[in-house]
Amino acid sequence: MKKLFGFNLLLAVFFLSWVCAGAGDSRSVGVSATSAHPEITEQEKLLPCFECHKEATPEIYNEWFDSLHGIGMVKCYQCHGTYENMKIEPEASDCMVCHVDQIKKCPQDKKCWSCHTAHTFKRNAK
Amino acid sequence: MTQSRREFLKRTAALSAAAYVGVSLPFDEKGLVYAASETVWHRGSCRLCGVGCRVELGVKNGTPVALRGVPESRTNFGYVCMKGMHFWKVMNHADRLTTPLYRASKKDKFKPISWDEALDIAADKFATAVKEHGNDSVAYYGSGQALTEETYFFQKMFRGGLQTNNVEGNPRLCMASAVGGYLTSFGADEPIGGYADIEKADCIFIIGSNMAEAHPVVFRRVMRRKLDNPDVTVINADPRISLTSRIADIHLQFHPGTDLALLNAMAHVIVKEKLYDEAFLKDYVVVKKDKAVSIDFAEYEQFLEKYTPEYAAKIMGGKVTPDQIREVARRFATSKGTLSFWTMGLNQRKQGVWANNLVHNLHILTGQLLKEGADSLSLTGQPNACGGVREGGGLCHILPGHRLVAKEKLRNQVEEAWGIPKGRIPPKPGYHTMAMFTAVNEKKIKAMWVHCTSPVQSLPNCNLYNEGMAKDDCFMVCTDIFPTLTTELAANLILPTAFHFEKTGVYGCTERRSQITRKAIDPPKGAKPEVWIIREWGRKLAEKLNDPVIAQCIKPFEGLEEGYELPKAIWDEYSQKLTKGRDNDLRGASYEVLEQMYDGVQWPAPTEAFALTGGTVKKFVRGMDPMADSHGKDDKPYQFYGPAHPDQKLWLWQRPQADPEEIPDAEYPFYLSTGRIIDHWHTMSMTGRVKELLRANPYSYIEVNPADAKRMGIKPGDMVEITSRRGTNIMPAKVYEGPIEGMVFAYWHDQHPDRMINKVTKDAYDPGSKEPEFKICACRIKRVSGPKALKPYIV
Repeated sequence: MKKLFGFNLLLAVFFLSWVCAGAGDSRSVGVSATSAHPEITEQEKLLPCFECHKEATPEIYNEWFDSLHGIGMVKCYQCHGTYENMKIEPEASDCMVCHVDQIKKCPQDKKCWSCHTAHTFKRNAK
Repeated sequence: MTQSRREFLKRTAALSAAAYVGVSLPFDEKGLVYAASETVWHRGSCRLCGVGCRVELGVKNGTPVALRGVPESRTNFGYVCMKGMHFWKVMNHADRLTTPLYRASKKDKFKPISWDEALDIAADKFATAVKEHGNDSVAYYGSGQALTEETYFFQKMFRGGLQTNNVEGNPRLCMASAVGGYLTSFGADEPIGGYADIEKADCIFIIGSNMAEAHPVVFRRVMRRKLDNPDVTVINADPRISLTSRIADIHLQFHPGTDLALLNAMAHVIVKEKLYDEAFLKDYVVVKKDKAVSIDFAEYEQFLEKYTPEYAAKIMGGKVTPDQIREVARRFATSKGTLSFWTMGLNQRKQGVWANNLVHNLHILTGQLLKEGADSLSLTGQPNACGGVREGGGLCHILPGHRLVAKEKLRNQVEEAWGIPKGRIPPKPGYHTMAMFTAVNEKKIKAMWVHCTSPVQSLPNCNLYNEGMAKDDCFMVCTDIFPTLTTELAANLILPTAFHFEKTGVYGCTERRSQITRKAIDPPKGAKPEVWIIREWGRKLAEKLNDPVIAQCIKPFEGLEEGYELPKAIWDEYSQKLTKGRDNDLRGASYEVLEQMYDGVQWPAPTEAFALTGGTVKKFVRGMDPMADSHGKDDKPYQFYGPAHPDQKLWLWQRPQADPEEIPDAEYPFYLSTGRIIDHWHTMSMTGRVKELLRANPYSYIEVNPADAKRMGIKPGDMVEITSRRGTNIMPAKVYEGPIEGMVFAYWHDQHPDRMINKVTKDAYDPGSKEPEFKICACRIKRVSGPKALKPYIV
């Protein structure tokens, strides 16, 4: 687990370096979600997200596929949008489409995924 | 800057990892659709499938901005599916039709005209057809997506006004066999129980349904039941392994069309091992060989003799073992509650009614009915196929309130309710769907109104019927919100309509549940609600035909505001006058009551007080169903008062295995089956215009079993030609352990001429229900090239 965390941290640092290196169009508040996604062709935009993410992020794909969202066919675009309106980190409003009641009951100062792990949607053990 | 795929994958991995470890990336908030403080939420039903999910449309400054589920609703408990989450995005789409369009000839280009001109032309064409060619030269072809008020008003105008029963709709293509099954087995259309049985069921038998994609929110409840209770058995019987199969304990995979043998073999095991409910059979059941011929149980047992598990397993193609059939039959019979689900896999068959009967047989034999967790539940495809079309009189042989056209007494009841002369409604049922479009080909239909559906794409063997529709011999009016293949090929007059939440009306979903959606926003300027269109057209029609009875048909609705008062008056007339005392009694489900309920009312609901409790959860059960008490014939706990069985019994049917119309041969060696996919709805005129949904599945593909693919030299993504005796498609291959070897599968939503699979499907139909056999035909496949870049196609 520690190893995995370290690996992800490394990737995150790599990513942040990439953003700082100008890939994000140098907006003062950071990059837009769309420009944060690597540029793809119009034809590639017609691929379902998971076609690439199966290879690019297999652990995330597998977590999603085996989760309640995966079995229930809640696909990537519900939380992350499509290319033009892509969000790397979703909003609570995206969850609220189905989980109005739960969101009302949950702590308002926390993000959903701080307790319900992203992509597995299991409640954190702590 | 475009990058290589490899670079892309690397960068994507970095992005995803950043999110994974909790680094919040800054992003533009313009894309967010949520603004809770200023948003007003309007309750209604989902516009798409037959589940009946309750949703709220968020409106800000008169514009729809979001949608969410209603947690209090007993249909969906707040959950919605991918299509449901996004359908509202079509409301402000630039392609919305906003002015009537007309062309005298189908070869011409459309020109915009005024509403007054458009309605005048529509009235003139229908009046002229009636005067010159008789009443049966006109026809209405509607939709299970139309509101009940629309279907009811259209059929009133055609039957009472134009004196023809040429009233049909696309539910004939999806639910007619379920209607036939319910009527012949239980004596009454529509299920006895409902979704509430899911949470009580211990065995769930899913046959001929990929509910994970076609009815995802009901599937979510099944999934939850299974995950929370691992001892619950889920059985999936289907020629294709689908996403539904993921939660199944047992998957039975067989050659298309052999499931009648499976169902009879399950009955064989149940009878042989004496797993049937003898007391239930004695009290409530007769065995039928034919409608007029009852047989005793011993003769039925004799009939089942040959359907041994070994015999059935062989017919089914050898992937199912006899012991699996035994195991499935035992679990079905002995669970505390067994709940069956099916959809088009049984209905869209030449033996559709028989297949429905055979599922009902298993429930009747075992008494897995009328108790908690037990039901024989046909999932409906469209949001208002049950409510509007089956209950509201939207098919050629039925009048509102589950009345048969052929029965004079029932016609007279309708005539009296409408205040029109006795004998006004003709006694002969009209053309069923396939006969109607055959009549178009034969130039017998001179004027046709197509509402909220696209037969150019959705009819089986569509090339044949499109020839007739494309000709100027039949003047066609289309009412719709977007251009479709039908408006482009076949319409002379396109009338732009209001969309869901832009008008008021009722949908009735799978489980006898009627739910209202109130107008939340105005339609785009120029688009009008259908009920207004019908009324205004009717007034001009009455003038042109100089017929006071047509004027009488619209008289109760004159002068009413079209957004709410007009549909309310139509619903009041239908529910109060035409469901009174019928098995779908909806008198208690007034607009006032429906607006109070989170999730509407399940009929029968004869009084408002009862409707306010939610209505009837289980039909035919004394103490639960008020009509079981008011229409009971004795003091037994179950009372089968449905209109089709005068003996008030359940009928157990002797139905043999029978082949589909077309089976593979040397020339066409594959089975072709078609179906739905989660991201799209029907002919894609709506979901194809939502970017998220379009991209998730931009074009159809042909699913090929890996063994067949290897044999045919087909690799993933290769372009494959699919040819039947009727037509050809070319689409990419998806090599996938889904369809059984010897079978291919395609979804039917794609509008592109190369990928419109209904060019290939067969138009044979069930002799009872007249529902076509979309699910099975023979084809051949051939690799034509490697992968090609394709573009989505939406007219």
